[in-house]
Amino acid sequence: MKGNVIKYERDNIDTDVILPGTYLKLHDYDELASHAMEGIDPEFHAKVKDGDFIVSGKNFGCGSSREHAPIALSHSGIKAVLALSFARIFYRNSVDGAFLLPIEIDEEAYKNIANGDELNISIETNEIKNVTKNQTYHMKPFSEIIGKIIAAGGLFKFKP
Amino acid sequence: MSKTLFEKIWDSHIVVKKENGPSLLYIDRHLVHEVTSPQAFEGLRMNKRKVRRPDLTIATMDHNVPTTDRSLPIIDQTSSIQIKTLEKNCQDFGINLFDIDSPYQGIVHVIAPQLGITLPGTTIVCGDSHTSTQGAFGALAFGIGTSEVEHVFVTQALWLEKLKPFEIRVEGKRKNPFAVTAKDIILSIIKKIGTAGGTGTVIEYTGEGITDLSMEQRMTICNMSVEAGARAGLIAPDEKTFDYLRGRKYTPENFDELVSVWKKDLHTDPSAKFEKSFTLKIDDIAPQVSWGTNPGMTSDVTDTVPDPKEFAKGDLAQQKSAEKALLYMDLKAGIPITEIQIDRVFIGSCTNARLEDLIDASRVVKGKKVSEKVSAMVVPGSQMVKKQAEKIGLDKIFKDANFEWRESGCSMCLGMNPDILSTGERCASTSNRNFEGRQGVGGRTHLVSPVMAAAAAIAGRFVDVREMDLN
Repeated sequence: MKGNVIKYERDNIDTDVILPGTYLKLHDYDELASHAMEGIDPEFHAKVKDGDFIVSGKNFGCGSSREHAPIALSHSGIKAVLALSFARIFYRNSVDGAFLLPIEIDEEAYKNIANGDELNISIETNEIKNVTKNQTYHMKPFSEIIGKIIAAGGLFKFKP
Repeated sequence: MSKTLFEKIWDSHIVVKKENGPSLLYIDRHLVHEVTSPQAFEGLRMNKRKVRRPDLTIATMDHNVPTTDRSLPIIDQTSSIQIKTLEKNCQDFGINLFDIDSPYQGIVHVIAPQLGITLPGTTIVCGDSHTSTQGAFGALAFGIGTSEVEHVFVTQALWLEKLKPFEIRVEGKRKNPFAVTAKDIILSIIKKIGTAGGTGTVIEYTGEGITDLSMEQRMTICNMSVEAGARAGLIAPDEKTFDYLRGRKYTPENFDELVSVWKKDLHTDPSAKFEKSFTLKIDDIAPQVSWGTNPGMTSDVTDTVPDPKEFAKGDLAQQKSAEKALLYMDLKAGIPITEIQIDRVFIGSCTNARLEDLIDASRVVKGKKVSEKVSAMVVPGSQMVKKQAEKIGLDKIFKDANFEWRESGCSMCLGMNPDILSTGERCASTSNRNFEGRQGVGGRTHLVSPVMAAAAAIAGRFVDVREMDLN
């Protein structure tokens, strides 16, 4: 999985900035995507490319249970969010609907990955290669159930 | 083997357990609202599936509903569609719905306990993070996403990894329990443990500081567990819990029999081990006011807006967050909290819109007027709360003071209906989240208790409600 980084160097990116509440009325996924990250980055929709990754700090996705948040990111083209930690409902929502991969990284990776860097992520080896900087980081492996839901392609295809 | 309350409820709901893996957990009650359910119902239709237990599924509309005159049509077409969609879905799938005209309509976490749907020892889910509110009754209640909503529709169960039990002991007695409220206790806890302090856990609140609280106040505590990162909050049921639930619309007929079982089972065994613990002493805590853009950014009302560097205590990311927060909130470090002037007041939400909240706020407001610079509103948590409040004349007290008295719903807590802040407006809000843009684009939210919000409405700025003259 290859893509470029959009980095938000902050903790506690909440679901209200990922997708403000007023858009929870929308049902069209592309329309939802057009408002992704609007709360803190109105330029996001214009700059995001298919296959991009978001890199951020602790407690990413805190707040509401809205699945609209990972949907909006996913339909913007975001394939994975790499963060120091995640809020649990956002984490499960991301994999349940096979929207994107929530990847936990360590401080070293967080510090070194810069905006625009090209990454190559392998969830088979749990490695993140920073192609731009020629560095390799380790991601925290998925737990058994999360790994299986991801491999199955979502909660409804998952067979325990 | 000794167990925590959480472990007892968890273990008693396991349908299938994988060795060292997840468990399939049975769900006793599924609450549904209009925002997180449409795609789940659509999934059922696409796959020609039914709702397995419509009798255990209850729906209402709360997020989108206007809080103004309900006899008028809903102007926002997208809201109107979402509300009509829930009506059709409930009709098609045989689900009991408390619609916009129902005397039982209201915020889902307010009506479920009021109707006796929330019961001790049960598992309760809803596509809403504040489902944690209902843990106040000793239920394992937590928010889920829309895919999981669909999964519960079809199977009445969920695959989950076991959470970790986390004990938060609240010790001591508040000197002024009218002015220092449950909201101030939970904000103090989040200030101390942080917004991710409870990640991966279920918090059980214990101690005199908790057992002293009424059921409605306990709900305020459990409600904001999710703001500390926890999946759920729990409080062991006691006589107050049973008294609250006795004789409600859906309270089971064999209630007294159940109570004797609950009394025997639903507590943490004395030798049970929590994976984490934290103690808060509340003898000297002050009313809290949030100054930043997450609920951990909170100060005593007697304090000043902190310097980001001091607030962060060496954590650079935290310092940056605080700097950004002050910029967004248009506040300078060092100014006293009581010098912050406000434009709006919102008394409402699943955190603080129950009858006691409104009674307490009315005591502050009675015989006074809202500051001329401020526009203030009260949005009762449910139609039942509204009727009860009107019966004892609270509507008159608020209206005489120039508060707007509205219909029930989530309203300005998350700005999905027309009740929103304009850019730059500053609001004293009894809700749960002060995230950027939560109450409207560019709106600035300060989280406070109902009595602090009421006092701020009168003064036009934050005041220490302990110093107010309350005749």
